[in-house]
Amino acid sequence: MAADRSCFPTNIHLASPNAMRMRRALRMSRRDMLLGAMGAAVVALGASRPGFAATEEADPVVPLFLAVSRRLTDRDVLDPQISHALYAGIIHANPERREQIHKLHDLMASGSFASARALASAAEHSDPVFKDVIHEIMTGWYRGVADQKVVVYRSALMFDITKDAVYPKTYAAGGPFYWTQTPPEVAVPTGEPALSPSRFVVEPT
Amino acid sequence: MPSEQDLSADVVIVGSGVAGSSIANELARAGISVIVLEAGPRVDRQHFVENFRNLENKPSYQGPFPSVPWAIHPPNQMTPNDYLHTTGPDAEAYQQVYLRMMGGTTWHWAGCAWRYLPSDFELKTRYGQGRDWAVKYEDLEPFYYQAEVMMGVCGPDPAVEDLGSPRRQPYPMEALPISYAAQQFRKLVSEKTPYRVVHEPQARNTRPYDNRPTCEGHNNCMPICPIGAMYNGSYSVYHAEAAGAHFVPNAVVYKIERDSANKRVTAVHYYDPDKGSHRVTGKYFVIAAHCIETAKLLLVSADEQSPDGIANSSGHVGRNMMDHTGVQVTFISGDKALWPGRGPLETNVIDNFRDGTWRNERGAYLVHMVDDNQVDLATSLAISKGYVGRELEEQIRYLASHTVRLFSHNEGLADPDNRLTLSQTHKDVLGIPHPEVYYKLPEYTVKSCEHTRGLFRELIGLMHGTDEQWTPGYFPQDHPAGSTIMGTDPRDSVVDGFCRTHDHENLFIASSAVFSSVGTGNITLTVAALALRVADTLKKELAHA
Repeated sequence: MAADRSCFPTNIHLASPNAMRMRRALRMSRRDMLLGAMGAAVVALGASRPGFAATEEADPVVPLFLAVSRRLTDRDVLDPQISHALYAGIIHANPERREQIHKLHDLMASGSFASARALASAAEHSDPVFKDVIHEIMTGWYRGVADQKVVVYRSALMFDITKDAVYPKTYAAGGPFYWTQTPPEVAVPTGEPALSPSRFVVEPT
Repeated sequence: MPSEQDLSADVVIVGSGVAGSSIANELARAGISVIVLEAGPRVDRQHFVENFRNLENKPSYQGPFPSVPWAIHPPNQMTPNDYLHTTGPDAEAYQQVYLRMMGGTTWHWAGCAWRYLPSDFELKTRYGQGRDWAVKYEDLEPFYYQAEVMMGVCGPDPAVEDLGSPRRQPYPMEALPISYAAQQFRKLVSEKTPYRVVHEPQARNTRPYDNRPTCEGHNNCMPICPIGAMYNGSYSVYHAEAAGAHFVPNAVVYKIERDSANKRVTAVHYYDPDKGSHRVTGKYFVIAAHCIETAKLLLVSADEQSPDGIANSSGHVGRNMMDHTGVQVTFISGDKALWPGRGPLETNVIDNFRDGTWRNERGAYLVHMVDDNQVDLATSLAISKGYVGRELEEQIRYLASHTVRLFSHNEGLADPDNRLTLSQTHKDVLGIPHPEVYYKLPEYTVKSCEHTRGLFRELIGLMHGTDEQWTPGYFPQDHPAGSTIMGTDPRDSVVDGFCRTHDHENLFIASSAVFSSVGTGNITLTVAALALRVADTLKKELAHA
């Protein structure tokens, strides 16, 4: 009877969610290969492994992504390794992003943009697709997520800018009952958004 | 250790969650042989923690716990669902999640350890609604305390803060100091409303206890406490194993065998992941497999002797499905920064609506101000609003420090039409049907939810709130109950006051499945207290055998 059924590895439950997505991607790729799309599948798999030095050398957009990211975060210093991994995730999810990031950099280089807001606003005005590109860059740096996968957790910028008040979940270090202390006050923000608003989608629990 | 080809024990337990593992622990410590059959795998805490950190959708409580093909559990609360199929006018309100794994669903609970109120056991007598239990609060009180000691529950001194459930002993640990955010909420409610905010009793260490550390406030009780400061069923598994109980993972029970008179259970049969079948004999049997899986197993085991399923002469197996239905709102406070997310997730409750004479027409409820880290949500929200750079960072800080989430547990009511059946269209890889639940919210619960919305609007106003985001409709709180309901009359109930099935003298059920009403407090402590009472009964009967 057992021979008629699929054989499941008994340690399947040990796979992390990211690894399970990767496994699904691999299964899909094998099917694609059987259908004859071997080349495309291999390229996709290569792109899904961020952080290889060879990619940076081969892809001139990698440093452009970092330069655009610095402007869009209003930060002079960003981690180049994280930048590389985010870039790899973004173009793996959508290969057209590579060209779009290149064009966004061209736009940035063509003018004098003193702030993230100035660049983002001009970019959306010139081509609405840049709004999506900028959303993905913001999501990457601030949430640490690209291609619906966690690229970094603790190092996501959202935790850097709130570290005087809260810890990333599972990484508390204030000692028992630190939470009774008064946290910092926060002024009402006065800045304006740069891009047109989008529908906010809450993922299922 | 017995061979798995020929397993036998004094007591055979199906399910290794809080109920099954705590019974196993008690019996093994009394020198009674115990086998526990768990459908799912054994996985260690650090794996779940790693999974959580790698999870993109952090609020997904099921996310870090991928199920195995031979013991599927619901992957999420989406309707339609890949496993728990819900139907009826309020199908989405019954889209429960739970875990089929060694240690059970308390891998992802918030540690809220409420005793039920005396009135919760007498809903019919006192208010003319629903049903009474076949056990009273006073009968359960010693077992509540035993469960609190087992789990390590912290809570307030009744002389200072009486939670309405009389106690003979103080809580094993002092109450958890509430966060700054909860302190501000408590102050506001105390000064501006006739209500009160109380310390929630929690199975969480406020000092080292049972070789587990003091809570450090990782704010991740759900889906996984990273350090084990919060009790979960795995600790009772470890204690039971140390005392000699034998736990078998990946053992999917699919049949309950009885004697020719159909009065005594003689064995249970389980499949291993390759569908090899094994028979396990014993003197007593306890089904402790979660409310939904317990009813499913009794129904799956139907045969010529019991064509409607085991222990089902009343026809009530799978009926009376209840839950705490939820109302939820998130908004931005216009007052000072609160910075929720410092400390444990759920620490404080408005308890004024847990009981009252109005329960003759609408259900009770309690309210949590959830102390959930809102940084990720704030970031997604600020990005969607179109902020970038410096302005984005300002927004994230403001939203993360001012977001407030309120949710309620609204009392369900036993209704035989709200019913679990076996799916006619979906089976798992072992050929076992998936569960299906028809659900229509009782009017009693709908009225309760309406009252809650009024209270939430009042609180939003007091906090000068904006950007209200109401969770649409009604949502499940994953506290299912009632599928093998308790009662004194075998014609309309499945178990008696000792959780023994009316039909089979050596078959017990230890689960929220036996609840006759669902009250308002989280169900786990009551599940544990009932389970410890089952263990007490079994110890006495085996001593006289």
